[in-house]
Amino acid sequence: MPTEITMPQLSDTMTEGTLVKWKKKEGDAVKQGEEIADIETDKATMPMEAFEDGKLAWIAIDEGQKVKVGQTIAVLAVAGEDPAAVKETALAGHQAKAVEADLPASESPLPQELGEEGATAAAPSEQVSPAAQPPAQSAPRDASAAGGRVAVSPLAKRLAEELNIDLTAVTGSGPNGRIIQRDVEQAAQHKPGATVKVPAAPSPAVAPLPVPAAPAMPARVGSGKKEVLAMTKIRSVIAHRLQMSKQNIPHFYEMVDIDCEQVNGLRAKLNESLEKQGIRLSIADFLAKALAVTLLDHPDMNATFDGQQITRHGDVNLGIAVALADGLIVPVLRSVEQMGLKEIRQRSADLIDRARRQKLRQDELSGATFTISNLGSYGIRQFTAIINPPEVGILAVGSAEQRPVVVAGQIVVRTMMTVCLAADHRVVDGSTAATFLRTFKQLMEEPALMLA
Amino acid sequence: MPEIQYREALRQAMTEEMERDPNVFLMGEEVGQYNGAYKISEGMLARFGPMRVIDTPISEGGFCGLGVGAAMCGLRPIVEFMSWSFSWVAIDQLVNNAANIRYMSGGQFKIPIVFRGGNGIAHQLGATHSHRMDAVYSRIPGLVVVAPATPYDAKGLLKSAIRCDDPVIFLESELMLNDRGEVPAGEYVLPIGKADVKKSGADVTLIAWSKCVKLCLKAAGELAAIGIDAEVVDLRTLRPLDEQTVAESVRKTHRCVIVDEDWPYCGMGAGIMERVYALTFDDLDAPVRRVCSEDAPSPYNHHLEVLMQPSVEKVVAAAAEVCYR
Repeated sequence: MPTEITMPQLSDTMTEGTLVKWKKKEGDAVKQGEEIADIETDKATMPMEAFEDGKLAWIAIDEGQKVKVGQTIAVLAVAGEDPAAVKETALAGHQAKAVEADLPASESPLPQELGEEGATAAAPSEQVSPAAQPPAQSAPRDASAAGGRVAVSPLAKRLAEELNIDLTAVTGSGPNGRIIQRDVEQAAQHKPGATVKVPAAPSPAVAPLPVPAAPAMPARVGSGKKEVLAMTKIRSVIAHRLQMSKQNIPHFYEMVDIDCEQVNGLRAKLNESLEKQGIRLSIADFLAKALAVTLLDHPDMNATFDGQQITRHGDVNLGIAVALADGLIVPVLRSVEQMGLKEIRQRSADLIDRARRQKLRQDELSGATFTISNLGSYGIRQFTAIINPPEVGILAVGSAEQRPVVVAGQIVVRTMMTVCLAADHRVVDGSTAATFLRTFKQLMEEPALMLA
Repeated sequence: MPEIQYREALRQAMTEEMERDPNVFLMGEEVGQYNGAYKISEGMLARFGPMRVIDTPISEGGFCGLGVGAAMCGLRPIVEFMSWSFSWVAIDQLVNNAANIRYMSGGQFKIPIVFRGGNGIAHQLGATHSHRMDAVYSRIPGLVVVAPATPYDAKGLLKSAIRCDDPVIFLESELMLNDRGEVPAGEYVLPIGKADVKKSGADVTLIAWSKCVKLCLKAAGELAAIGIDAEVVDLRTLRPLDEQTVAESVRKTHRCVIVDEDWPYCGMGAGIMERVYALTFDDLDAPVRRVCSEDAPSPYNHHLEVLMQPSVEKVVAAAAEVCYR
């Protein structure tokens, strides 16, 4: 008998895993205990071992694919079995199952499928308007009564009848999309003109003010318009990684205001002389330069943490958060501590440009030791950012703007910028972050110090 | 109100009924000289003498048949099983004779007999002495099956059982005999066939009887901590089932978990679940869940024995599931 290899449960909380890498190909011989794949769980990436000897006959899922615990990921042909024949049988069985699973879906338009797939694939902005449902729309309901099924609890079904709610327009929140009591009650609340039994409010102690007879007002009927979007690959990655970061890393935040008068003056002077070369420095270049110097001075912050050990890095590889139409990408400016402002400008402009055109190589997207996220151009005064693991810090930069500040007992107008450092409290403490920010502030306010 | 042990409540019920009616007598292994294997009948031999408190040989088939015959002749026997697991060897007397004679004689004979003793899993009694007979007898027309959870219910129901003109299967538990509870000093009886809402609640009905009632009350406490208001319905009588109380509760909460220590397949909970579906299908917002013992012989190992049975955690998980939490 060939052996099915299933997604193992590698931690108590693991419900699904991503196959990061296959270490064997179809046809390869494997020994019991030999590593055959790397599995990314909710917590870490772990090697998966073969439980018995054999030949890897069929790899059922591709690298990068995420499947539930217990789902078949490969089939092993044991001694005396022909891997090719085993693969054929396994494939046939798999396809039969897939067809089975597809059948009801293609024949019966279940409401949740209409919502999730039908709506995006067939009619991206299908309007769901319970008030004005065209007659043709009642057809699917008949069809579902004849062939398909709407999963609904008996109570919810009875309630829907009483409240005159069309169940095909209700999304179920129970297991397998089952429509339950609360779904119908919620639908009823959003339905115009529906009478919903609401527990009577306790009578107020004082007599209510007389209310003038309300003029007859037309009911406000929402269009009910909505659009359901599948998660793009990049959104899934962002969702997964940032949720993991915010859940696992004890973030703490420190903010500091920076006087930008001097750095702006220097920038204007340098830009004058660089104009002929077609180079125009931005404040972001000074931020990058100052960060590089600060990080070399505070190696605790130029570090990565894998949950076990802290690695301090001798190079400053600066991740630069770049917004895309749908998502966010962080190209890495490597060895920025070796660069002058001009080179920083040229290289970061190139990286950002290629990031927006999605032309970056994989190695340009990894290996950062610290990240900077700048929303200054959006007029944001101050914000907090989520650490990009395994890094231990990220600097969130707001816009440089004119603010009234007190200098030597006088209120004066200065160009100020607020930056917020988010740091991983497992690795560094408040005072580490504070001295880091102090150095950074000094360098930005007195840029000549960067030469010192 | 005096607080007494479950075993004292049973003793009071038997003593009061024997004083009230000279036809009532107690018979079983060790009930007399030894004062009861679990000291339920302590002092009763001294009080009523060997004609009314009778030690039997180890022969359940024999003394159960004797009891049925005595009942046919007008006496009202109380037959004690040291464990209900031993009733397997007397099942012909209980099922074929006790349950059927009234029907087969066209009502010429009635069988006013009580069979009582410890039922279910106690403490490391192993597979053969841990049987749960609830479903075995509750499915037999002609029998009444009572399984009280508290000393108060035990006394009131045992008195009613002794006065009942039909054979009553009275299920106790070795593990409940030390439980204490308030029992009024004076005379009272409780109706057979009437469930009792031990804790009222709005979100989910927990149905139990016998020692699982206590478990459900604990679970209800934990559920309250996570915002689920559980109602605990103690069936008290398994046959005839108080369908009205069960249905009213489930119609109110829309969700139901049945908790018992019987096996899952064809277990007591399965029969009750069928009734709940039949009565309240249109009122349910979730499938009825059962928490029962694992489908395996009762282990001797104590850890496994505990593991195979319902627990507070299992009840809380099931209740949370039907509440979609």
